[in-house]
Amino acid sequence: MNQVNMFSLRMAWRETRAAWRHFLYFLACIAVGVGGLVAVSLFGVNVEQAVTREARGLLGGDIEIRLSHQPGERTTEVLLSLAQRGVTVNHASELAAMVSTAGTEQGSGRAKTLLVELKAVEAGYPLYGVLTHSPDAPLASLLEARSSEGCLPACYGALVQESFLIQMGMQPGARIKIGEAVFVITGVIQKEPDRMANMFSIGPRVLISQEGLAAAQLVKPGSRVRERFLLQLPSSIEITPIQHELRGRLADESARVSSYREAQPQLKQFLDQLSQYLGLVGLTALFVGGIGVAASVQSFLREKLQSIAVLKILGADTAVVILTYLGQALALGFVGSLAGVLVGLALQSVLPMAVSQLIEVNILDQVQFSSSLSGASLLPIIKGIGLGLLTTLLFSLWPLLAIRAIKPAAIFRRDVEGIEGASHRREFSLAAGWKAIAVRDRPRLVAAVCIAAGLAGLSIWQAGSVKVGALFIAGLLVAVLLLILASQALLSLLRRLPASPSITVRQAVGNIIRPGSQTLMVMMSIGVGVMVMVTIGMIEHSLVNRVQDNRPTDAPTFFFIDIQPDQADAFRGLLQKETGEVSPAPTPLVRSRLRAINGQVVTAETDPEAQDDARREDRRKNWYLTREYVLTFLDQLPKDNLIVKGKWWEPGQQFTEPLLSIEEEAAKHLGLDIGSSVELEIQGVPLKTTISSIRKVEWGNFSTNFYMIVSPGALDGAPFTYVATVRVPPAEEASLQRAVVAAFPNVTAVNIGDVLDSFARILDRLSLAVRAVALFCILAGALVMATTLSATRYRRLYESVILKALGATRGMIARSFAVEYVILGLVAGCIGVLLAGGLSWAVLRFILDLPWSAQPRVLFTGLGLTVLLTLLVGFLSTFRILGQRPLAVLRHE
Amino acid sequence: MIAINNVTMRLTAGGHAISILDEITLAIEEKQRVAIVGPSGSGKSTLLGLIAGLDRPTSGSIVIDGTDITKLSENEMARYRRRKIGYIFQSFHLIPTLTAVENVAVPLELAGDADARKQARQLLDSVGLRERLDHYPVQLSGGEQQRVAIARAFACRPPILLADEPTGNLDTVTGRQVIDLLDGMHRDYGTTLVLVTHDQTLANRMERVIMLRDGKVESDSMVEL
Repeated sequence: MNQVNMFSLRMAWRETRAAWRHFLYFLACIAVGVGGLVAVSLFGVNVEQAVTREARGLLGGDIEIRLSHQPGERTTEVLLSLAQRGVTVNHASELAAMVSTAGTEQGSGRAKTLLVELKAVEAGYPLYGVLTHSPDAPLASLLEARSSEGCLPACYGALVQESFLIQMGMQPGARIKIGEAVFVITGVIQKEPDRMANMFSIGPRVLISQEGLAAAQLVKPGSRVRERFLLQLPSSIEITPIQHELRGRLADESARVSSYREAQPQLKQFLDQLSQYLGLVGLTALFVGGIGVAASVQSFLREKLQSIAVLKILGADTAVVILTYLGQALALGFVGSLAGVLVGLALQSVLPMAVSQLIEVNILDQVQFSSSLSGASLLPIIKGIGLGLLTTLLFSLWPLLAIRAIKPAAIFRRDVEGIEGASHRREFSLAAGWKAIAVRDRPRLVAAVCIAAGLAGLSIWQAGSVKVGALFIAGLLVAVLLLILASQALLSLLRRLPASPSITVRQAVGNIIRPGSQTLMVMMSIGVGVMVMVTIGMIEHSLVNRVQDNRPTDAPTFFFIDIQPDQADAFRGLLQKETGEVSPAPTPLVRSRLRAINGQVVTAETDPEAQDDARREDRRKNWYLTREYVLTFLDQLPKDNLIVKGKWWEPGQQFTEPLLSIEEEAAKHLGLDIGSSVELEIQGVPLKTTISSIRKVEWGNFSTNFYMIVSPGALDGAPFTYVATVRVPPAEEASLQRAVVAAFPNVTAVNIGDVLDSFARILDRLSLAVRAVALFCILAGALVMATTLSATRYRRLYESVILKALGATRGMIARSFAVEYVILGLVAGCIGVLLAGGLSWAVLRFILDLPWSAQPRVLFTGLGLTVLLTLLVGFLSTFRILGQRPLAVLRHE
Repeated sequence: MIAINNVTMRLTAGGHAISILDEITLAIEEKQRVAIVGPSGSGKSTLLGLIAGLDRPTSGSIVIDGTDITKLSENEMARYRRRKIGYIFQSFHLIPTLTAVENVAVPLELAGDADARKQARQLLDSVGLRERLDHYPVQLSGGEQQRVAIARAFACRPPILLADEPTGNLDTVTGRQVIDLLDGMHRDYGTTLVLVTHDQTLANRMERVIMLRDGKVESDSMVEL
């Protein structure tokens, strides 16, 4: 290192030593951004580790064979052969079911009913992972049948989730009825390793034994049940070959065979995406903090004009001086980043608590998530420090270039040109940028290009994807550009307004528009924060409103599923009796899978690695190829369905072959058209159909909608179940549910209102997590404002004591400060809110494909809170000025 | 040898052009001790600043030891100053964030001197500030600050020392100490000394007195010693 660099380093250290107080805000700006990012990435790393570690527990075995119907002969045969080869098999059945207190001693009054997620397991469950429950007795003993009073012939044990007890108002030891059997609640489930991490949960878990399930007689032909066979392989059997073998042997059973290696991507993908979005919001906070860094460096340089001039007089050239202050900024950036890492470490133990609330099942607990640090934590920490340092570098470069313009003669010219004046023309602004382009200021142009490229690089690095990172930075740049333009327009408007007769207002406006007030930076940083926050609010409200307001007034209250063919008429009768209205006949349905399209056999297994953006279309197609289709046959085109191609069958039409009417999107993704042949498979039985029409379906109308409808007669003899819908006033919901469960214990009642509530709750929790990180943007914005206010502290102090000397009261000065902060808040808030309107419109319109509507409540809340924020930050930064005595200040002049 | 040829300096303030120096031509010999005097606004400080290369004249040239410094870029000028010129201000202009010894060390460090600190200590010792090495400028009296400034200006033993009203902010006794110091440097090292002053007594201790008025040389006389 040459001597000049040594000098720069030494000078940088000396300057920092003397002025560290000045840089508290600088440090805070970087620390807040880095803290948010480190917390988010540490969380991401820990989640990934936990998911990988618990992969077998999450799946429930090395391999899972999953069926959506009861196992056929073929499956039984395969399972038997597996057992002979030393494979341990555990059978778990999962289904939705109704629990009732009817027929038990608690049921003597009005019976209570509840929709639950029922799971039946065999002894030996779980093969991997730990099921925790209290009491901590062996699972088999908790689930086994016991004979006691009121149990005929016996009561099986059942473990339930805490929420079940709360909703039913029960204690362990209570009896419940499921289907045809009575169960005793023997304990509470705390953690279940393989409960699928679905966002939606239709009810609390109830765990029983397979014997108990058989006694309940819930599983009938065509019932909705998920049959899972969990395999534990001996070490002699390799996973991949046996997986392929099983796929081959069970192809006709439409079984899904997955290994623990590919079962986790879904969960991981969700959490990855969550960390990616949170990370980008965190990066926004860091960039806003970067504006604070720029403001801080700029105001520091303004104080240092004389020292810089002296250094130049003593023979320091511009490069030395820039290096000095750049070194200083980087050192501070490093310290700020370290502080940020500490903040991040503290936060990452809090963040999981917020996220674990996201999902009904505490997935983090389930995978034994821990916030403890490990070798892998080092990467996010180093990355955080790197991002902090680079942000410091990029944001301090621009203001530091102003050093070039400081002439040694600045020391003499104070009276002619004025040091203040000289520096104001180097304002960090768009104007300076344009000027740089106009006068071809090479270094500034190069710096601008480097800064833009650097910011893009950081975004891509953080996002982990070129596309997402580039989109993010482009969006942010557009937002910042709009913010600057709008702020400048408003500032010039303020300048043009006639001077207010009130001295407080005049003083306030003066403080905002005067050169060197850094108002632009304040508006930009607060505006970005407000924009992010309000956008999240707008999107959340639009989504919730969309679902709740668009619920048609005639939308059903209940869906009743799994009605058996022999129950259909009786069920209709019951509904009629309970509601006093004529209800439509229950709709028959049967579940099927695609077997072949135009003679081409569909390969049923998805490629679990197909996750990147480029293959999104493939994944979508795969989803359509491998999903389960609920089929029905109908005479009439259902309501809200529109034929877009082909035609619906005529009444009384004779069919020479089964015809199929398919939904528009499914047809598009499957590449189907009128006349295409589609071979379906219903529990092993093939059904060849030809497409005769393509329909557009209004999915949001809360009716029974179908992707595929076949012509009448095509499904004769298939194992139907029936689904019925009914609309009742809220007051009658409970009694209807009670009556149905009492009369048809095997029928499951799904309350649409509950489902919607659960959707709204999940949305609320999701947006809470995003908002928590977005809070960092606001915090960074507030810090930028505090930074700029502290930079003008001395001038304010001086002015306020002069005003006091001239007879102004403390209240008057406080009022003028208040007016100033309110104007700042109003302007920044208005711009932020307007941009949020635009951004939320774009997101809703182009990404979520939903209509946008102005949400005045959200917008005005955002604006109001912004004004409160600027008032608060303003007074916290300046209240001490108000109490200063004039003489004490002026004596030092 | 400093040759000032037809130097004119104009500035604009409030839209009006003000002529500060008007076609000045002067030659200052090596090792000469020169006082520039004149009323306020006569342009003396500007002339001194131009000799130090702190600004560029509107027209004319300033040639020091064969180099036309008005042709140098700002950074070239800065490096030139390191070697050739020491500068002392009326209001000291110490860097407030540095201690006395660090202030003195700055030019030595800029020149890449390995034991800058040690030399700075010796220099402060020679101006009688051995006890004040680690004090910050605000902790020093005016006289002490000016002595630090002199030590700093002289740190690299520049052949030319320029002083702008070096005693202007000091009382008479302290002012005399400062002048004795400057005289001593001239005597010991043969430094060319150019100082701007209001103080007739101080001017009379120099060997040549140049009187400026309204940006022009009114008189230029050798003082009988």
